[in-house]
Amino acid sequence: MARIIVVTSGKGGVGKTTSSAAIGLGLALKGQKVVLIDFDIGLRNLDLIMGCERRVVYDFVNVINGEATLNQALIKDKRVSSLSILPASQTRDKDALNKENVGKVLEELGKIYDYIVCDSPAGIEAGAMMALYYADEAIVTTNPEVSSVRDSDRILGMLASRSRRAELGLEPIKEHLLLTRYSPKRVDDGEMLSVEDVVDILSIPLLGVIPESQAVLKASNAGEPVILDTESDAGKAYQDVVDRLMGETVDFRFLHAKKKGILSRMFGG
Amino acid sequence: MADASIEFKGSSFTLSVLHLKTSMLVDIRTDLADKVAQAPDFFYLVPIVVSIEQLEGSIDYQAIKTLIESFNFTFVGFTGTVSKEQRTLIRELGFSFVNTAKVNTVEKNTISAEAAETKIVTETPARNLFSDKIHRGQIRSGQQVYAKDQNLVVIGSVSAGAEVIADGNIHVYGSLRGRAIAGATGHHRAQIYCQNLEAELVSINGNYWLSESMEQYWGSPAYIHLTDSELTSSKLI
Repeated sequence: MARIIVVTSGKGGVGKTTSSAAIGLGLALKGQKVVLIDFDIGLRNLDLIMGCERRVVYDFVNVINGEATLNQALIKDKRVSSLSILPASQTRDKDALNKENVGKVLEELGKIYDYIVCDSPAGIEAGAMMALYYADEAIVTTNPEVSSVRDSDRILGMLASRSRRAELGLEPIKEHLLLTRYSPKRVDDGEMLSVEDVVDILSIPLLGVIPESQAVLKASNAGEPVILDTESDAGKAYQDVVDRLMGETVDFRFLHAKKKGILSRMFGG
Repeated sequence: MADASIEFKGSSFTLSVLHLKTSMLVDIRTDLADKVAQAPDFFYLVPIVVSIEQLEGSIDYQAIKTLIESFNFTFVGFTGTVSKEQRTLIRELGFSFVNTAKVNTVEKNTISAEAAETKIVTETPARNLFSDKIHRGQIRSGQQVYAKDQNLVVIGSVSAGAEVIADGNIHVYGSLRGRAIAGATGHHRAQIYCQNLEAELVSINGNYWLSESMEQYWGSPAYIHLTDSELTSSKLI
């Protein structure tokens, strides 16, 4: 059975698409068969981050409407053959998806792939609900600031009440916290919430902390997911996230400002 | 008279009062069935007085009595602040009309001879009769949990932007960061307990505090209660 993972947040601009791309590619680099689905119908971005925007012929909505087959719409990644991308439509809106047909597409994909990574749109409306409905696991992407944390809290409530697993009374969605754009220096200066603060408020297991990094913007513009930039802190942190998703125990890095060099007591770093 | 086989004496009893908010029998039946299903043994043969104070228009008294008895309650009579004509009508139909203790003292002389001997004191079920509604897990922003006619026990935290409401007490075994409203239908003895007080708002029986009033025990275990209609916070541990 494929693991269906939704990358979600509630708030926009926190790094859902960047994280989906990095994690999807990272899993594929580890030999897993991965498909990345862009659920942000109307604001297609994932293809840009993945660097395949010029290869989009058919999209997710075409497949849902039966206008194209899955094979026609799936774009094989040029870097890793075990990774495919199902792009969103740029010309339609989020009402173009319906639960029944999305379920059928996911079922088809589940026969082929090990991981289905769903890049959710922002918000708590139909589009975001559709992206999380069939999920087995959720990566809740959060910036260390109060409004992002509150929106993540709201999404966690939705995961627990509006998903298929919740409706059928199955085992709840496995929740992971991914803290992005983390700046230890600003935490020390009291300008940013600390990892401990966010974990305390949201009370879900920490999957990773991605440090604020210039490498992320550079990677996005180049269409090369940041995990490929193995020299950057952000790239290394995403690699750790992928390893943890695959069940490895990896120490947390980049939690403290460099000049201090204090090891994390809390996470045994 | 010393050899009389019977003797009349006055006594006070505590009875449960069922307040009807609608005369729609279908709705009453549904809600009553829900309530009884929660604690069938508790309600079995319990003497009950039906308050018709909030009802308007014509009332089918016999149908209400039959409905109440169909749930295995022991029907005692009707009560409520109603007109003298309505009271007379109820008596003429063969039902007893039960005055609350308060009304009794005011209108003592209007009570008929039979009723005067047995003064029946009625009041809403005491607070400690509330059962507990237990919620396991965190209550997230945007979620609302209401414990109707119950205490609410939350095993987990209440997030900022979440709301917990109970007709009885609220216990939060975690952090209370959202809004907590206890004694929602009017219980001044309701209390709010939490292991970490960081609430946006707490309210008991309509008296409320915003977070700025909670400075004293902010971030520590505390409970909130009413003393002379004033909210008070106290250290929990």
